[in-house]
Amino acid sequence: MTPSNNENGRPLRFYRWATQLYPQPFRSVYAAAMQQTLRDALNDQTIPHRFLAAVLIRDLAISLVKEHLAMLRETYSRPALVFNALVLAALATGLGLALHVIPMQVLRLSANDPQIALADDLVAQLERGIAPAAAVPAATIDMARSLSPFVIVYDDQGHPLASQAQLNGTVPAPPAGVFDQVRLRGAERLSWQPVLGREGGVRIATVLQRVNGAHPGFVLAGRNMREVEAREQVVQKLAGMTWLGMMGVILVGTLAFGWYTRPKDHAVL
Amino acid sequence: MATATSPSTPLSPTVLAILLSLAESEKGWTSESSPGPWEGKHGYLIMKDARLPQGGAVHMGPGTLYGSLDRMIRDGMVEESGLSDDERRRYYRLTQHGHSVLATELSRLEATLTSARALGLIPHGGRS
Repeated sequence: MTPSNNENGRPLRFYRWATQLYPQPFRSVYAAAMQQTLRDALNDQTIPHRFLAAVLIRDLAISLVKEHLAMLRETYSRPALVFNALVLAALATGLGLALHVIPMQVLRLSANDPQIALADDLVAQLERGIAPAAAVPAATIDMARSLSPFVIVYDDQGHPLASQAQLNGTVPAPPAGVFDQVRLRGAERLSWQPVLGREGGVRIATVLQRVNGAHPGFVLAGRNMREVEAREQVVQKLAGMTWLGMMGVILVGTLAFGWYTRPKDHAVL
Repeated sequence: MATATSPSTPLSPTVLAILLSLAESEKGWTSESSPGPWEGKHGYLIMKDARLPQGGAVHMGPGTLYGSLDRMIRDGMVEESGLSDDERRRYYRLTQHGHSVLATELSRLEATLTSARALGLIPHGGRS
């Protein structure tokens, strides 16, 4: 029995609607041909309509996804768009790194400020011949807990002569190599870790200066870096969040720009 | 204008079926509604050929067909013949590059079948 126009009308109307779901550039070229192909198939009496419907539904499900993916690939794989996004991402990463490194350096360098003055003053006193015990303030500072700056005087061999601070009941000394460096260069500024470990470790912002004169030796001025490290972590978080924010803006901007500047005409025909 | 790119084999069953159907039309074989050899075939005739066992037994719908044709035009395997007996029908034919891709794929399949026969997986002289 030949299917009537009415019988064919419903699948055709459905398919006309369904072809609107294809990406615009694709359907502008092929929608009419696709509908004609279905019309030809419906008019072919050798194909059962039920079979045709099954093929059509499966075809729509697969080809709609495929054509939309192809359109997305075509839209977002344009070299100029990818290049711009990569350049912006590189700039954002550079800026994020600068926002991380520069404030960290400023924080670390400024952590030495009181120690520089303390060490200078104490070296001057010792070189004038004042005894270490008299020159060093009497208060005992716990290096692990206190944030106050402190000074320690060492003899020429690196043994402590007088100290304003203690760590676990003793006066620690930096490694011998550090004293050798100071002998050569006159002064060193370093982060000294008398107690190792991420948890419970003690890091000291240290200024070590050479004492010349009749009783040569060394002056160490230090301060626990706990507070500075806490600020460094805040800077690190802020820099990380700024970087993520910039990358998000670049991603959204690239997606939006790519979409609005996508090829409107089909490339082939 | 589409430019020919190097054929990437193995081809998908859909692409192979379309190439076979279009190659068949150039050999002079046409079904009753084809306008004739060298003029190419329109979408439904390609779909119909593809459904046959000798055409690959691929059941594809219009979306898959025109999506594949679109990519094959870009790859330079197929072109529109320009003929139209109805403005909604588009006729397609193979390009020289399409012939070359089909020949390469058929040689590959032939070698595979020869190897399978040698291993006794397919009876000699049997349908392949």
